Parts: sequence; structure tokens; C-alpha cells
Amino acid sequence: MSPRKSRKKLTGVMVTGATTPIGEGLVRSLLADERVGKVLAVALEPEESGRTLFAHADRLVYKSVDLGRSRRAHNLLFGPARDMGIEVILHTAMHRDPSHHGRKVRSQNVGALRTLLDLSERHPTIRRVVFKSCAEVYQVQYDLPVLVTEDHPLNMSSGAPQWIRDRVEADLTACARMGLNRTEIVVLRMAEILAPGCGSQLFDYLDSAVCLRPAGFDPMMNVLSLYDAVSVLEAATFHEGVGLFNVAGADTLPLSAAIRRWGRMPIPLPGTLLNPLYRARRRVRGSEFSYGMNRRRFHYATVLDDTRLQEELDWRAHNPIAWPAASPA
Amino acid sequence: MPFPPALARGLASLLLDQEAASQVEELHYNDAGHGYDPFGLHPDFVRFGYGFTRTLYERYFRVLSYGHEHLPAEGPCVVACNHSGSLPTDGMMLWTDIVRHTGRIPRAIADHFVPTLPWIGTLFARGGMVGGSRGNVQALLRAGELLMIFPEGVPGIGKHFRDRYNLQKWRVGHAELAMRGGAPIVPVALVGAEEQMPQIGRINLPKGLQGALPYIPLTATPLPLPVRYRFYYGEPIPIPDDYSRADADDPDKVREAAARVEAAVDALLKRGLAERGDRIFA
Repeated sequence: MSPRKSRKKLTGVMVTGATTPIGEGLVRSLLADERVGKVLAVALEPEESGRTLFAHADRLVYKSVDLGRSRRAHNLLFGPARDMGIEVILHTAMHRDPSHHGRKVRSQNVGALRTLLDLSERHPTIRRVVFKSCAEVYQVQYDLPVLVTEDHPLNMSSGAPQWIRDRVEADLTACARMGLNRTEIVVLRMAEILAPGCGSQLFDYLDSAVCLRPAGFDPMMNVLSLYDAVSVLEAATFHEGVGLFNVAGADTLPLSAAIRRWGRMPIPLPGTLLNPLYRARRRVRGSEFSYGMNRRRFHYATVLDDTRLQEELDWRAHNPIAWPAASPA
Repeated sequence: MPFPPALARGLASLLLDQEAASQVEELHYNDAGHGYDPFGLHPDFVRFGYGFTRTLYERYFRVLSYGHEHLPAEGPCVVACNHSGSLPTDGMMLWTDIVRHTGRIPRAIADHFVPTLPWIGTLFARGGMVGGSRGNVQALLRAGELLMIFPEGVPGIGKHFRDRYNLQKWRVGHAELAMRGGAPIVPVALVGAEEQMPQIGRINLPKGLQGALPYIPLTATPLPLPVRYRFYYGEPIPIPDDYSRADADDPDKVREAAARVEAAVDALLKRGLAERGDRIFA
């Protein structure tokens, strides 16, 4: 299938979650791109911190808005966004800490996206919404395929934590609206972004000097670099392709190799011990890694298949992770 | 992993003589970037596996192989074989036989419970084994791999000694997936493994435990006997010529193709049994 055409110029692009590493990288990349007229950066952080972060950017407007509040989102879209001629929304804002839950978190994770999609339908300038979803929405199970395509079963388990449930609901909310109205919707299910501040469970897991893993299991996994995550979002901004796409990273390797390449020591232990040990670590160190949430993917391989992305959006990952340790023997 | 790739490489160099080492020197596989393919195969473990199984192949089971010229040198292919022996040594020997004669790494399609087995599941995956989901098989055929499938599944390897050389219920999934993947099917019969570890009973595990292992076999011997294995490869069944990809959605066509494979394996079994006679160990 031949890739669709790309747009040549955009009057304005709005980026949500602009103060996260991925949002910040995206804003800087768009500002460096002459095809983009103006950039509207949106985040929860106060306007002063946004101005400090993006100082000397004359084509940028930073707004501190809680998108979980629909009135504020409305005022943003039918105020500054309309005035700036925003054509594309890049929605990357998601609550990152799995230990936080409740209505407010859900409204940020799901409500904000629903509101943006609602408002985009009747907005005079917005034509396209790109939503950054994640591979964690997929079900991991021993009898499911290793290579995960877009039609892979989702994790609809009632026992899944809110961190997962919210992401599945947000993903499905976006998918359910595809083709129902004139707004072009793109959902990018990204492999885990192995970088700080991106909500990566694996990054937090590798933060420890000793990494405990289930004995006898060493599943294959795929990780995405921050640079590639920014790159694919930017590609989706300009491209006219729509729909749902997996985004695989340039690194596919077993868990033990990832641990070694991160310069850590893997210690295999019986799986039943890992949950209480990591729960204790969470309490003592306040870390975000939850073994319970990752138990299955620490046993069974899941590697994203991004064939569709390569064919339709003409994009593939080229920038591997900068692994801190030298290549293990 | 039980041990890192470097150790597998070292062990392989101890186990393989020069001739055998040259057979597995240039293995073609889809390196996903860190030396592993997306399913977890690593060439050093393939070499180690070949070194380990080759000893069994040559000295213990003293395998004889007939008709292996029917195996294609390249392109997608399904090798369908009868399953027997209480332990999956038949799969290991078939894997070794194919590596030896083609230089290709066969991808054994295992039952769903195999990846749940600690160490074993991981070690087998490093050697090329893949869990038997439809998506995995389709992806491998798209990539032009040679697959080893035992259409009888667990009932084949776990049958009672009195049922030896009687094919168990022949599943049809391999035929359907070969149609979709445009792959010929090479029928193979293995004569010998039925007598290696006669199964005289079994303990069925409670449902809750069956995910890890479906049952515990009760066998007449604690270890496989040194029977002689004989592989008989038949002519490839030209699935892409005889069926269209759309036929994969026609249950009658799929059953027909699977029945052709079953009949070919059964005929090869009968030929093999007639040739072997009562020379089980010789």
C-alpha cells in the first residue's frame, strides 16, 4: 500500500502535556519546523514555568489548563486555539503515576480526551486529533501471539488497575469515533518509552541497582526511544493517514538483556516473591513500579508489530535507546 | 535465561566438531536488533541446541532419514509429522534432522502450555520454538520460515502404548494456515519413538493446574529407551497450487487439505513400519 500524502503547512498545532519530556520534545521539534505556523502548548503547570521552559519561542503560546474540566477545555479551544488557527491537536497528556487513582485522575485520562474530541467536531479550525496511546492497553497472555497487531485483544480485565483501565477506555473512546464525523483521528499505540518522566514502568524498574525478575522466564519486549516517540507524533501531525497504528521501537530484546544493557544486575527469584518485594520497595522508596501490573509481561513475550504504520504513515523507528552499559557478551 | 548467549556459544563450540559447526555457522534468521529475533530465537542457542541434540541424534537414537530432499531450501513451508514418545524428543530429533539437511532453523510450533513452563519454555524459544497461536504461525509464514507442526497435538504424544502408530484426531489448523500463508506442506512420518517410553497410564491434573501441564504420564521406563528413529519425508503437498488463499475460509476445503496431509503421513508410517519390521533398536 502506498503511503498517503503529507500536508505541506499547518497554521497551528496544539500540544497537550507540553511540560512532560515527550510534550516538551514535541513542542521544540514543531517550533524548529518551518511548516508549522504557531504552537499552542498546554499543560497543568503554571504559566510561569511554561514560559521558563519555552523561553525565547516567539511562535509559541503556553497555557496552563486542566483539560479534565470541560468548561476550561472549551474556553481554550474556542478562545486561543481558534484565534491561532489550530489545525491539529496532539494529545499526549496522561496521568503517569499508577499509585494515584480516583475521579480526578480519570477525568484527566479519559474525560479530557472525550472533551477534546467532542469540541473538535464543531470547531472551525481543528481538523485532526492525534492521540498518544500505549502498548499497555493490550492483553498479555501465554496463548496470545507474540507479535501484537492492532487487532490484538485489549486488557479488559476487571481486576486491572485504574492506570490500565483508563488507558484502555481512552483508547477505545478515540477509536469509537473514527469515521463518525469530519475530524481525522489517529491513535498511536506506542511501545514503552524508556525515558524518565514518561510514565514508563520499565524505566522505574531499571532504576534499581538490582532488578528482580521471575526465575525461568525471560520474555521478549520492545521499547521506544523518546526521540522516536516525538518523531512519530510529528509525522502523524503532517500525514493525512488516519486510524489506529502500533508504534514499535528500534529495540527488541529479552528482559534480561535490557537489565544488563541498563547496567543493572538481574536476579531471578520465584515469581510469587516478587509482588510483595516490589510492593515493599514501593512503600519504602516511593517508586512507581508495580510488579502486579507488569507480572504477565515479565513472563510472556509481547512485541508490537508496526507493519501498518510503516505502510500507511511511511514511518519506522530509527533511533535505538542509548543503553548506558556496553553490549553484554 | 538459564544462561547467557556467550555461555551457549562456548558450550556449542565444545559440543560441535568442525563439520557440524560449519553446518550451523551461517544461520539465517530475522535479527530484530540485539541478536534475537522477535520471538526470542538466538543463533548461539540454536548452535548449542544443535550440539546437544546432535549427540542424541547420532549416538542414542541413531536417526535414519529418508526423503529429506523434499524439504525446500527456502520460502515458507509447513512440515507436518506424527507425534509420539511421551517426551518431546521426536520434536528435538526432527528439528535436528531438518537443520542437518537444510541449514534452515525450523520453527517448532508448540502447544500453548509450553511457554508457561519455566526455563524449558525460554530455552526452547531461544532455539526457535513458538507458541501455537494463529497469529504467531501467520507471522512466521509471512516471514518465509519453515514450521514444524504436530497436528495431533498433546493427544498424539500422550497416547497409550496400545494405540501406537494410530494417528490421533488430526487437527486442521495447519492446513488452513498453510493456505493463508501460501506454504506447501511436507508430510513426515516418524517410526521408532512410539516404543521409546511406552505409556501405560496417566494422571490427569486438576483443571486449575492444566495451564502448566495437562497431565503426568505413567510410563513403563523412566527414561527413553535407545530405540532407532526413522524419518520418512513425503513429497510436498502443493497447497498454494491446489488451493487459493480464499479457500482457507472454506471449512470443506480446509478439511480436505488436512485429510490429504493425514493420509500422506499415514501412508509413510505404514511404509516405515513395513521396512523396519521388528528391528526396534537396530
